[in-house]
Amino acid sequence: MSLSRFLVKRSLQGLFVIWGVITVVFGLRFISPGDPANVLLPPDVDPEVRAEVIAELGLNEPLYVQYWDFISGIPLGELGNSLVTRTPVAARVLAKLPATLELAIAATIVAIVIAIPLGVISATRRHQPADYGATVFSLVGISTPNFWLGVMLIIVLAVQFDLFPTSQRPIGVDGIVLLFVSGSLGEAVNGLTTWLWHITLPAVTLGTYFTALITRLTRSGMLDQLGQTYVRASRAKGLPETLVRYKHALRNTLIPVITVIGLQLGTLIGGAVITEAVFAWPGLGTLIINSINARDWPVLQGSLIVVAVGFVLVNILVDALYAYVNPQVAYD
Amino acid sequence: MISERTLRNLRRELRRSLLAKIGIVVVVFILLMAVFAPFISPYSPGKQNLDEARLPPVGFSTAETREVTKMENGSVVIEGGEVVTEERTVYTNATAAHPLGTDGNGRDILSRVIYGARTSILVGIFGTSLAALIGVLVGLTAGYYRGRVDDVLMRSADIMLAFPSLVLAIALVGVWGQAQAPIPDPFVVTGLAPAFRSALGFTTGMPDTVVLPGTVIVVVALVNWVWFARVARGEALSIREEEYVKAARALGASDGWTVLRHVLPNAITPILVLATIQVAAIILLESALSFLGFSGADVSWGFDIALGRQYQSTAWWISTIPGLAIVITVVGLNLVGDWLRDALDPGIEGEGGV
Repeated sequence: MSLSRFLVKRSLQGLFVIWGVITVVFGLRFISPGDPANVLLPPDVDPEVRAEVIAELGLNEPLYVQYWDFISGIPLGELGNSLVTRTPVAARVLAKLPATLELAIAATIVAIVIAIPLGVISATRRHQPADYGATVFSLVGISTPNFWLGVMLIIVLAVQFDLFPTSQRPIGVDGIVLLFVSGSLGEAVNGLTTWLWHITLPAVTLGTYFTALITRLTRSGMLDQLGQTYVRASRAKGLPETLVRYKHALRNTLIPVITVIGLQLGTLIGGAVITEAVFAWPGLGTLIINSINARDWPVLQGSLIVVAVGFVLVNILVDALYAYVNPQVAYD
Repeated sequence: MISERTLRNLRRELRRSLLAKIGIVVVVFILLMAVFAPFISPYSPGKQNLDEARLPPVGFSTAETREVTKMENGSVVIEGGEVVTEERTVYTNATAAHPLGTDGNGRDILSRVIYGARTSILVGIFGTSLAALIGVLVGLTAGYYRGRVDDVLMRSADIMLAFPSLVLAIALVGVWGQAQAPIPDPFVVTGLAPAFRSALGFTTGMPDTVVLPGTVIVVVALVNWVWFARVARGEALSIREEEYVKAARALGASDGWTVLRHVLPNAITPILVLATIQVAAIILLESALSFLGFSGADVSWGFDIALGRQYQSTAWWISTIPGLAIVITVVGLNLVGDWLRDALDPGIEGEGGV
């Protein structure tokens, strides 16, 4: 199968999964006890007013009409209106998305920058103190709940030593770019420092699990590669050890590592939800939690759809990238 | 089901690996703590004593500046009809009565850690069992029948995988509410634990029920069955081509019989390895749900971490200690998982973590 046919097939599968996701999210409302109209109405409301609100929300329509209304708006980017604020859900989700993406990307950068060197050092100095250190770190790292790590970082670095703020996001990358474009360079630099200062603890909190995971993968991948015949052959023909390690072995190690990073993006978003709760970070996670507490159905459903669809799209992208960088892949 | 050779590999790997030994010791320790909680817990986990709130753990003391009534020669100083107050540094010392300190309501943290183990272990074991039951059933069916059945089942697994597990779990628990079933604690209702306690001189009574967090167990299973389905399907796909399976079918065995009698027993090793890792992942998931206040549990390590947050600048131990309990438990389970994987080498990928 050619690469393009593989991509078409993969996209069709993705489309099916997206349809499934939307249907599951639609169904979520029906497993919940209680009526969405109750969110808007006091319990002792006049039955006529109640019937009116239910009609207005379209809740008395047959199921297939409700389903069609729900699903047909989505390709146009319509996710309905919030029950609480009566504003479009899509706009609210979009407004919260940058904060979550910033956090996820910052955490990924933290993870890659620390984990790959650590994994390489660990593999090339096997059974030495550095290797044991890295192994223990990655074991504890994958076993630590990140919300607890966040609380610990706050207690030690924010409360005791006052090095970082405990929470909040006073400025985002979008704000910094805006300042930069409008020519206030000094303020843009200030904004950037503030942003870095505020995102450090959340990014470390969210990134630690991935740092640990990628360290483990890089270590075992490197060990595997360094034992291959081509490495021995390169050494035998007199290639410098640094070239053997970093040009050949590391490059082959990174291919599966990149795939795992892509596949773990779902875990990353899940982790972001709870990290946001710890640091009062105003992203999608905070929106999801608030919408559950307020029983604001459309907002919860819209956020879930955006998260899941984003995840499916990223996975297709990762598959394509993987197929592109690794010509040996079998497309099936 | 588990062959002599498998047991030999397990023993050999255990002799070789210090980490595997540590893992087993930790897991057994936590299990015993959870099972025998009413025997060993110094207090009831819910017993409040506001006079003893926020006592630090043994080895620590706290200094706090407080407004206190001014005393002279043992009596209150009154000037102009008002009680005079003064600022004084109050030192709080640890007491041996609360070795891990107390929380904001004066509840004993050691007792809460011991009882919290029950919540984690219950959700971990029942959640994993239910996830395995669903996942193995789906996976074996998909792998055994292949074709259209396989397509439908595995595509629905893909749909589940498109949701980040924590997000889906929050949404499900959030919309479902938090059903919990109190079941009688056998050690307390039979009088065994109370007799043991009074012999030791403990005075407080223990709760006579164990709370089974029903919704949380169902939700973590619904979120995690997919991993079992994938592994079981892979095994079924290869095992169905084995001669003994073909032979069984040629002899007229039904599909159900063939799967249960021939495919499942030969797929059990990787499923067990996955289950070990999944218990760890599900314990982490439960703690996250409790931390966010969605699980409804009132004795849970994750919930206690959240309770301690309001004292994060004055009483660090309230959040710190239950978190350490989670880390130790999950490290132990992961070490056992590594041991099983290294010894049995089923070549599966694990997933977990919050």
